[in-house]
Amino acid sequence: MKTASNLERVLTAGHFAVTAELGPPKSADAEVVRRKARILKGYADAFNVTDGQTAVVRMASWAACLIQKEEGLEPIVQMTCRDRNRIALQMDVLGVAALGIHNILSISGDHMSFGNHPQAKGVYDIDSIQLVKIVKDMRDEKKFQCGEEMDVEPRLFIGAECNPFAAPFDFRPYRLVKKVAAGADFIQTQIVFNVPRFAEFMKCAGDMGLLDDVYVLAGVAPIKSPGAARYMATKVPGMDVPDEYVQRMAAAGSGIPREEREARRAAQQEEGLDICVETIQQVREIPGVAGVHIMAIEWEGAVPLIVERAGLLPRPAV
Amino acid sequence: MIGQVQKPLEEILEYLEGREKIVVVGCGGCATIFHTGGEPEVKEMANTLAQHGKQVLAAIAPPLGEFTCYAPWSTARLSQYRREIEECDAVLLLTCGDGLQVVREFVLEKAFGLQKPVCPGTNSMGHMGGGPTLFKEKCMQCGECELGRFASICPLTQCPKGFLDGPCGGTTRDGKCEVDPERDCVWVSIYERLKEFGRLDKLTELREPKDWSKMQRPRQIEVVPLDLGQ
Repeated sequence: MKTASNLERVLTAGHFAVTAELGPPKSADAEVVRRKARILKGYADAFNVTDGQTAVVRMASWAACLIQKEEGLEPIVQMTCRDRNRIALQMDVLGVAALGIHNILSISGDHMSFGNHPQAKGVYDIDSIQLVKIVKDMRDEKKFQCGEEMDVEPRLFIGAECNPFAAPFDFRPYRLVKKVAAGADFIQTQIVFNVPRFAEFMKCAGDMGLLDDVYVLAGVAPIKSPGAARYMATKVPGMDVPDEYVQRMAAAGSGIPREEREARRAAQQEEGLDICVETIQQVREIPGVAGVHIMAIEWEGAVPLIVERAGLLPRPAV
Repeated sequence: MIGQVQKPLEEILEYLEGREKIVVVGCGGCATIFHTGGEPEVKEMANTLAQHGKQVLAAIAPPLGEFTCYAPWSTARLSQYRREIEECDAVLLLTCGDGLQVVREFVLEKAFGLQKPVCPGTNSMGHMGGGPTLFKEKCMQCGECELGRFASICPLTQCPKGFLDGPCGGTTRDGKCEVDPERDCVWVSIYERLKEFGRLDKLTELREPKDWSKMQRPRQIEVVPLDLGQ
């Protein structure tokens, strides 16, 4: 074992892992984190807290991780390169390890222009691949990026993101090569809707010998409404939602009269959960998929339903 | 060249508030190409200032090719207007920020021994190439050129995140940039060119974080003076 991470233990023992996302609040309200943590507890092996997702100011990932840890969850701290240079990032790496957080996900970060402070100066001193390498060298070589040594190293299980669906499609496995070579222990992918394309990517990664060295967790998400399906299909860069799902979401609840809004919404959400569970079952069959990462954005209550219906309970105690 | 646009007139007038006698200086280099400080713009600014009650003592437009940012040239040019400059309340520079500061430091302070308010009339927009109509920012003067590794396309300048390790996850399916969907993702262009040259191996190289100390400002270089035969 490289670390004290529960996620590492679950993956190493050969279990199909489940991670889930916990979105931190746009406020200093710790209770929001606690409430979400109580909903999620027991339904995944570790829980990501996003770090300034879509460049919107929210509670810092490390802080919300600490709160969910107090609630008995295992956190995965996300760390974006957009807002901090290599000095600040390494300071935070030391800090989160000292707080007893065992997992980190390195991300480059959404561009400032998407967020609520579009006039901010982006940092991007290093990128997510370089951050993976820096954390690995801190952990395994006890060295900072500058080469100086430290006494007590941050023992973190290191993750990276990967989007198999963005252009240039045939370049994406090469980018994964770099993340693995940099030292990523696990990968959480962009949300998978186009399963055949994802299977093609995984086959390519397998042929390149990448899957022997890294655990790939396929990203999944429940679609909440027909509008959300259309939005993800047309407006979110790097996302690939087949038209079939847009149609299914549009058809869901169409037999229910318009006045019965709650019933229609429930039927639509039910369809979104079904699609998510089906996707989990399909990606589980793809060689090399070591688990799933459930991103139920502002819908944490969906996670227990998805995990249960996908037959992924109880979570292993290892 | 240094891309540039004219500042709003209100801002220029704000800098010149309370100052009556003005000397306007343009540039025969980039500012002429970008129509911010060539001869027509210098004349126009002089007229505008006169309309706003200013007394323009001199309107100096160096000929095409004479860069105001090159101190030997601007010193020689402005020496012809030394009397007006000594008399004026402020100098308005229709040049990039380099041109302005060269005139302030090298010409007015060092050569003439004068302390005068020197005001900007343009906003500099970066190092650009192209033309005659469209100019694009291609180089950020990072001090350690990466073009040899990336098929002669600079990702530091062309990618809004400045990535040196390949495209982010936001590239659209038709290969556009998520920040500006009108523009091609530069990493798609780099990938296609490297593929064409059979050098895709360049893209799997793990690279050390960039040495940004090469960009630590202010930078300066000393060279052997050019022999201009003057």
